[in-house]
Amino acid sequence: MASREVQFISDEGCVRSPSATAVAGKYWAIFRTQLLNSLAYPVDLLGRSLLIVLFMWIFMNLWRVTYGATGARSIAGLTLADTMWYLMMAEAVMLSKHELSETMSEQVKDGSVAYLLNKPYNFILYHFATGLGDSVLAFGGNLIIGSAVVWLMVGPPPGIAGWVFAFLAVVLAWLLDFCFSALIGLSAFVVEETAAFRWIYQKFLLLLGGVLIPLDFFPGWLQTISLNLPFAWIIYGPARLFVDPSLVRLGQVFLQQGIWLAVVGGAVWVFYRRAAVRLAINGG
Amino acid sequence: MTAITVHNLRKTFQMKRKAAGLRGSLRALWRPAYQSIEAVRGLSFAMEEGELLGFIGPNGAGKSTTIKILTGILHPSSGEATVLGHVPWQQRQDLAFQIGSVFGQRPQLWYHLPAADTFYLFGKIYELADADLHRRIAFLAEAFEIEELLETPVRKLSLGQRMRCEVAASLLHKPRVLLLDEPSIGLDVVAKQRLRLTIQRMSELEGVGVLLTSHDAGDIEALCRRVIIVNHGEIVYQDKVSALKRRYLTVKTVDVRYNEQLPADFGLPGVETLKVGRYGAKLRFDTRETPVEPVISGLAAAGSLADVTVSEPSLEDVISAIYERTETESG
Repeated sequence: MASREVQFISDEGCVRSPSATAVAGKYWAIFRTQLLNSLAYPVDLLGRSLLIVLFMWIFMNLWRVTYGATGARSIAGLTLADTMWYLMMAEAVMLSKHELSETMSEQVKDGSVAYLLNKPYNFILYHFATGLGDSVLAFGGNLIIGSAVVWLMVGPPPGIAGWVFAFLAVVLAWLLDFCFSALIGLSAFVVEETAAFRWIYQKFLLLLGGVLIPLDFFPGWLQTISLNLPFAWIIYGPARLFVDPSLVRLGQVFLQQGIWLAVVGGAVWVFYRRAAVRLAINGG
Repeated sequence: MTAITVHNLRKTFQMKRKAAGLRGSLRALWRPAYQSIEAVRGLSFAMEEGELLGFIGPNGAGKSTTIKILTGILHPSSGEATVLGHVPWQQRQDLAFQIGSVFGQRPQLWYHLPAADTFYLFGKIYELADADLHRRIAFLAEAFEIEELLETPVRKLSLGQRMRCEVAASLLHKPRVLLLDEPSIGLDVVAKQRLRLTIQRMSELEGVGVLLTSHDAGDIEALCRRVIIVNHGEIVYQDKVSALKRRYLTVKTVDVRYNEQLPADFGLPGVETLKVGRYGAKLRFDTRETPVEPVISGLAAAGSLADVTVSEPSLEDVISAIYERTETESG
C-alpha cells in the first residue's frame, strides 16, 4: 500500500493534459454519464415510450375517418401512410425533448445553479450535453415502439434516406429546442416563475410546430406564418423530411434551422452572460 | 507560500420582502420592497499552502458565502481575495482546475450511478489522461477505503460512505486547495471520525491545504491547527486551536466522592459549590482566579477521598460562549 502512495506523492502523472480533444471529451463524458443515468431505470424508460402507442392509435382513427370522408388518396401530397409516419416522427421528437427549462428554472430559484459552476466547464454546454443524453434514449425508445405500431397500421416506413435525413435534422431540432428551453429557464433570473412561458412554448410547438397536424394541411396564410416561425423547424422540418427525403428539402430545413439557431442561440448567449453576472452578484 | 488571501471582503445580498397575506402579495407586486442583507462584513484572513484551517460559525454567519466567493461562484460586493494567485470570480474556470470543493448539503456524485461513473466523468471534466485517471482512482479508492463501494449506485451507500466518496472525488485532479463546506453534516460519530482521519491523511500525503467549515467543533479540534470563528459575517476569533483552549478552557468542574459523610457546610475558598450530597459534591472554579493545586490539596484534606473527576468544558461550549459574548457586545 505504501509503495503506491509514494508513487503518487512523487507527482508523476495526474496533471492536466489540455487539448481540443480533452475539451470535446469533457462534454462527451457528460453526455455519456447522462445516458448511463437514464439507463439506470429501464422500466421507466420503457413506460415513457408507451405513450406514443396511445397517440398513434388516436391519430390513426382520426385520420382514417378524415381521409375516408374526403375520398382522396392523398391530401396536400400526403397519403394516409405518409401522414401517420409523419406524426410518428413528430411525436417521437416531441416526447423525447428534455425538459431543460424546468430543471434550469428550478436550479435558478433554489440557488443550486451555483453548485454546477464549481467545475471547469461551460454551464450552457453542460446542460446541452445532459439534455442530449436524456433525449437520445427516449427518442430511440419512442422510435422503436412508435414505428412498430405505425408499421402494423399502415405498412412499412419510408426509405433509408428518410431515416438518415430525419436524424440529421433532429439533432439540430434538439439544439434549437434546447436554446428556447435555456432562454425560458434563464428567464427565471428575472421573472422567478417560468411555467407560463413553458406552457405557451409547448402550445406553439403543438399547433404551429406541426405536432398535431402536418403544416401542409393548413390554409395557405397560416402555413406561411407557421413556416416563417422557428417552431416548424423543430418538429415539422425533421418529420416532413422523414416522409419526403429530398435534398432540396434537406437544404431548406438545414437553412431554416441554421438561421433560427443563430438568432435564438445568440439570444441565449447574451442572456446567459447577463444572468451569470446577476447570479454572481445576487447569489445562489 | 500563501494559498488564500482575503482582505476586507464584503458581500451584501438584496432580498425581496413581502408582507404576509393577499394584501402583502398585491403590494409586493405593485411596489416590491428589498432588504439588504450583509452576509459577509469585512473579512480578512490568510491561509498557507498545506494548512488545515477551520472556519466555524452558527447558521447564517457567512461561512458558505465566503466559500462560494473563494470558488468563484459569487462576486463580492467589495474587497479582495486571491486563491493560489487567482482572483476567483474573474478566473473561475482556471482556478477550478487547482481547487476542489465539497458542499456537504449538495452532493456532486450522480445519485443513481455508481461512484466510479462520476469519478470517470470528473476525470474527463478536469481533462486528465486516461492512464493517470485510472491510477488516481485506484489510489484514492485505497486511501479512502472505498474500493468495495465504487461499483455500488450512490443511492445505496450510507451517508458516511457517500461522503468519503464525495471527498475522494473532489481530490481526483490533485487540487492544491480543498474547500470543504460542512462535510460532516449528518454523519454519526464513527463515520465522522473516519472522514476526519482520511482528510488528515490526504493533507499530510499530498500537502493539500484545507479550508473546512463545520458546525461541529469536534471536526475543527481533530483536524485543524488554526481556527477562524465568524458570527454575523465578521471574524470574532482567529488563532491556533490550542490557544483557544488555553484562553477559554479555564473553568473546571470537579466531581468529588468521599468514604465518609460530608459536613453540610462543605466548601473550599475560591471554589463555587454547585451541589452537596451526603458523600459527594460538585464544584466549579476558574483557574485564572484559583490555581488547581490548592483546590486538589484542599479536597484531599477534607476527608478520605473515594473518587475525584476534574473536567473542562468542550470546545463546543467554549465556542458558544464566544458567540454569546459577541451577541451581547453587538446587541
